[in-house]
Amino acid sequence: MQDVLTSVKWFEPELILTGVLLLVVLVDSTLAAWRNVAARVLTVGGLLLALVRVVELRGVSGEIFSGMAVVDPLASFFKALLIGASLLVILAFTFRNSRELHGLGQGEFYALMLAVTISNVLMATANDLAMLYLALEMVSITSYVMVAYMKGDRMSNEASLKYILFGAVSTGTMLYGLSLLYGLTGNTSLPAIRDFLAAGLTDANRLAVYAIALLVFAGFGFKTAAVPFHFWCPDVYQGAPTPVTAFLSVAPKAAGFAIMMRFFYQGLATPRAGPWDLVGTIDWARVLILVSVLTMTVGNVAALTQTNMKRLLAYSSIAHAGYIMMGVVALSQNGARALMIYLLAYLVMNLGAFLVVTLVHLHEGTFDLRDYPGLYRRSPFLTLAMAVFLLSLMGIPPLVGFMGKLYVFAAIVERGPSYFWYAAVGAVNAAIAAYYYARILKTMIIDTPPAEKPPLRLAFADATWVSLLLAANVLPLLWWARIEASLSLYAGR
Amino acid sequence: MIALQHYLAVSAVLFSLGMLGILTRRNAVNVLMGVELVLNSANLNLVAFSRFGPGNLQGQLFAVFVIVIAAAEVAVALAIVLTLYRLRRTPNLDEADILRG
Repeated sequence: MQDVLTSVKWFEPELILTGVLLLVVLVDSTLAAWRNVAARVLTVGGLLLALVRVVELRGVSGEIFSGMAVVDPLASFFKALLIGASLLVILAFTFRNSRELHGLGQGEFYALMLAVTISNVLMATANDLAMLYLALEMVSITSYVMVAYMKGDRMSNEASLKYILFGAVSTGTMLYGLSLLYGLTGNTSLPAIRDFLAAGLTDANRLAVYAIALLVFAGFGFKTAAVPFHFWCPDVYQGAPTPVTAFLSVAPKAAGFAIMMRFFYQGLATPRAGPWDLVGTIDWARVLILVSVLTMTVGNVAALTQTNMKRLLAYSSIAHAGYIMMGVVALSQNGARALMIYLLAYLVMNLGAFLVVTLVHLHEGTFDLRDYPGLYRRSPFLTLAMAVFLLSLMGIPPLVGFMGKLYVFAAIVERGPSYFWYAAVGAVNAAIAAYYYARILKTMIIDTPPAEKPPLRLAFADATWVSLLLAANVLPLLWWARIEASLSLYAGR
Repeated sequence: MIALQHYLAVSAVLFSLGMLGILTRRNAVNVLMGVELVLNSANLNLVAFSRFGPGNLQGQLFAVFVIVIAAAEVAVALAIVLTLYRLRRTPNLDEADILRG
């Protein structure tokens, strides 16, 4: 009983979100004239309240609901990041500034958004194979619906169908792996699995664990859009409404990395002060290095020839997943910290880039890069903002994107000479990426437009949110020492 | 006497058949059937391991949740297939090709 009471107390952020989700559904079904405003206010209020509660609970650490989920600093960080991401998307992308969402039901959108947020948070705290699978599927199923939000649009539905089929195969494969893991270890709890594997393995069993790790990785790879599970990514990002694309490119990806870290760090490794020990000498890091190298290379090379902005950013987000995975492969506290810094930076730079793309679409009705020439003269502010977001994605100092890259590369190099080639591949990839990001800038600033058009007039709210995201890409550097110190606390266990 | 190996063999066959169905079928509904086979092969594994293994019920509990998830997933998938059918008048997957590049 005591266990349940403590669990409920530590579970409050999720409970708040669930309550608000139900309220939003109720409010939306009243069909009153004020229901859209009420749904929006409720959603923003609920997310803020949950965020406050997460921050208040940041110090606690322990298992809840008989070990199904866990509350610890790492989970607190990811909860705050995931709830914050939903909040940012809802505030910056509205039904007014997204041309694709005009005239569609708003209550359902907020309800779905809250549902994805809850499941993202659960994914970041899962401590049991059953919980892990349930949370991952809940994120997937709600995102399928969000991608198909434009009911009458063929692209949106086709994107969703491709997403579902890829998702079903990947998560099905993962589930098969999880069932074998349960059979091998006799337990579904991650700490218990680690204890079993640490007690020693026969050679045959070690081989089985390798196979299981590969099967399970299908699910994580799908969520984080890692090669070879990335095929859905460009199509889904292009077909989905842009606010949904922006959301999918940051939140579920971050949750995917949270669960990947939890599985590989907590299930298949033992924490130490420096580099962590592999459990049962299962060297999964080597496999992940290969995946990470392939992910960044495929993402960057495929992005070179894209002309649709959403598609281009989709490939760029695949490449970034490769860099972020470096933090997982480093298998140390510094690696975990680097991953957190990269995810935070990625949140503000990628959302910023998508916001600019949405605003250009609102005013021009196009996602095509070939329609971007002349934007510099028509809206210097929007061009400046896009330049900062792209330079940040490129990893140019002194922007937050640079700090993200700096820390993941440092965490890798720290592991010793056998990892140097890996860091070098990452650096070469960053150079390839610079080409296509710079190409967008060149198109916006230098290329001459076919015809003179009047200047773009941004709405006040849009300009504000662009400026805020712009500030978030530059200002954190001023307080870097403090940010680094507090993130180190969250990365430790 | 039916032992654990028999269950595992059946589940492996189910998994392979499911994957084969997913990869070779053109009709979206048939592909979803393949997905069901994959999920149920994992269910069979979980229940069999729970019965013959350590004697705890975690596996059976897991299987119950998987059944629920499978139902939810297919409900959403069929809804999307239906919407797409209304828009294109075909359930074939290789005709869903407007997104490419």
